[in-house]
Amino acid sequence: MSELIRLESIVKRFDDTVVLNGIDLSVAENEFVTLLGPSGCGKTTTLRIIGGFEKPDEGRVFFDGKDITDMPANQRHINTVFQNYALFPHMNVGENIAFSMRVRNKPEQYIKDKIKYALKLVNLDGFENRRIDQLSGGQQQRIAMARAIVNEPRVLLLDEPLGALDLKLRQEMQYELVRLKKELGITFLYITHDQEEALTMSDKVVVMNEGYIQQEGTPEQIYDEPVNAFVADFIGDSNILDGQMIAERVVRIDGVDYPCIDGTEQGFPPGRPVDVVIRPEDIDIMPYGQGQFNGTIISKLFIGVHYEMLVQSENGEIEWLLQNYDQHDVGEKIGMKVDPENIQIMHKPKSEAESARELDL
Amino acid sequence: MKKIFGRIYILIIMLFLYLPILTLIVLSFNEAKSMSVWTGFSLRWYQELFHSKIMMGAIANTFSIAILAALIATIVGTMAVLGMAAMKQRTENVLMAFNNIPMLNADIVTGIALMLFFLMIHWPRGYMTILFSHATFCIPYVILSVKPRMNKNTDRLFEAALDLGASEKYAFRKIVLPELKPGIMSGFLLSFTMSVDDFIITYFTRGAGINTISTLIYSEVKIGIRPSLFALSTIIFVVALVVLITVNLRQSRADRAV
Repeated sequence: MSELIRLESIVKRFDDTVVLNGIDLSVAENEFVTLLGPSGCGKTTTLRIIGGFEKPDEGRVFFDGKDITDMPANQRHINTVFQNYALFPHMNVGENIAFSMRVRNKPEQYIKDKIKYALKLVNLDGFENRRIDQLSGGQQQRIAMARAIVNEPRVLLLDEPLGALDLKLRQEMQYELVRLKKELGITFLYITHDQEEALTMSDKVVVMNEGYIQQEGTPEQIYDEPVNAFVADFIGDSNILDGQMIAERVVRIDGVDYPCIDGTEQGFPPGRPVDVVIRPEDIDIMPYGQGQFNGTIISKLFIGVHYEMLVQSENGEIEWLLQNYDQHDVGEKIGMKVDPENIQIMHKPKSEAESARELDL
Repeated sequence: MKKIFGRIYILIIMLFLYLPILTLIVLSFNEAKSMSVWTGFSLRWYQELFHSKIMMGAIANTFSIAILAALIATIVGTMAVLGMAAMKQRTENVLMAFNNIPMLNADIVTGIALMLFFLMIHWPRGYMTILFSHATFCIPYVILSVKPRMNKNTDRLFEAALDLGASEKYAFRKIVLPELKPGIMSGFLLSFTMSVDDFIITYFTRGAGINTISTLIYSEVKIGIRPSLFALSTIIFVVALVVLITVNLRQSRADRAV
């Protein structure tokens, strides 16, 4: 896959606050890339820079190998589905979809055919003459998609397009979006703060926080091998624990030694303090005394498919979060075990002094 | 019992509001010049009105000034709103505070201030000074009615239009202007009625030989008011009534169509 969009050390400040702190990003042709992060992490600003609505203070934006940093939005081969759709309220559905073609003085017959095609694509045949305020949220979302794609952009930017929809509709639209992307064969750059959306739809997930990219990778990599506590915490439920490497491929957590698969080669030599992530579904429940450690169940919640339990460890202060299909009662004493490949070792976040020292080098 | 009381209450209010106007309308058709004795139906005061050069001149002045002043105020006010939208929030707030002061200011102060200003710059008072003054005091109202339409949503629609390939000019004409239109229309109508209504500011900024309806009536009061003015007032009232009814009818029909 060839590279379509490249951001090179993008820095953006609003007044005195730094919103983007040197963003490097590469999006390949035909890829579904999701920028994921909490509000204020800089994901929307990144999208607006690619769309041409903001100018970066430093860094360059490349599109298909050409520098488009200074190109105005209306000349970029990029279209956007905006967060609140931004449909033109004084125009009907057909006129909204026709807008980009009327701008380019396309013949009326061509426009008519295109509107038909676009409406069919988003499953809203025959909606040409509806007024915008007659549409439901989900329908508005589809019209916004139709309007953005008739121009045949090479990249579609989607700014939290499902944020205003209810849960059921959101899940339906996720399938719809993946189908649309396949049919159109174009690149999608998607923004969301919803980790589930990011994991289900994307080829690549880019986790952002406080103007930095924290981690980039496939949904599986992001979920199974988070590089730091922020990513682990943001993606799914997890136990994030303090630990220390005490021997080659052995980590001590809460007074118990666990074999793991990371060692000096991965940058975790014996003696180093680390953060450890253990997903709640990766902790196996055993009869009392037969696991690696013991605890008492202090609370239990039924969440549809599985039970979620909090377990107070016998060794120390730690409360473990467990997910299990089997039912156990509150107050029950259990043993627990974690397989070495399910123990994800991460570097401790650097203190400011450490990062400063590293920059000097 | 409660119902009857309510009806009587509303009737009294209606009488208070409309009885004076009704009296005026009836007297405009009175044959005699008397303001108290009914002598018979006649249209002579309407005839006198349409033949009086002074009155017709005042009517022409009133409405031409109102239309021109409203036009100028609408254009200047709308441009001001567009300019303010591009400013920082703090500057914008300060400007809006300045915008609100003239509306709270007493008309008489505004009138005298404008008169002194014209005297100082030696601008002979007449039609143009009235027009200038009216446009001036209407601008804040236009800004106030257009401003709420120019919001975050309008910005977003503008960006969406650019995103779809429109030039800034095209996006402004096709997207922003239609969004602002209701505000612009109500700003224009507000300015028009305020200008027609105004007496005090007109009184201070007009020159010797020029009158609008309000200043004409005022000067006639001193020498004895003529029933042809009742005729004029009746016509203005009926025109306003007809306009109001048609607008409301169209509105309710449009609402039903939804």
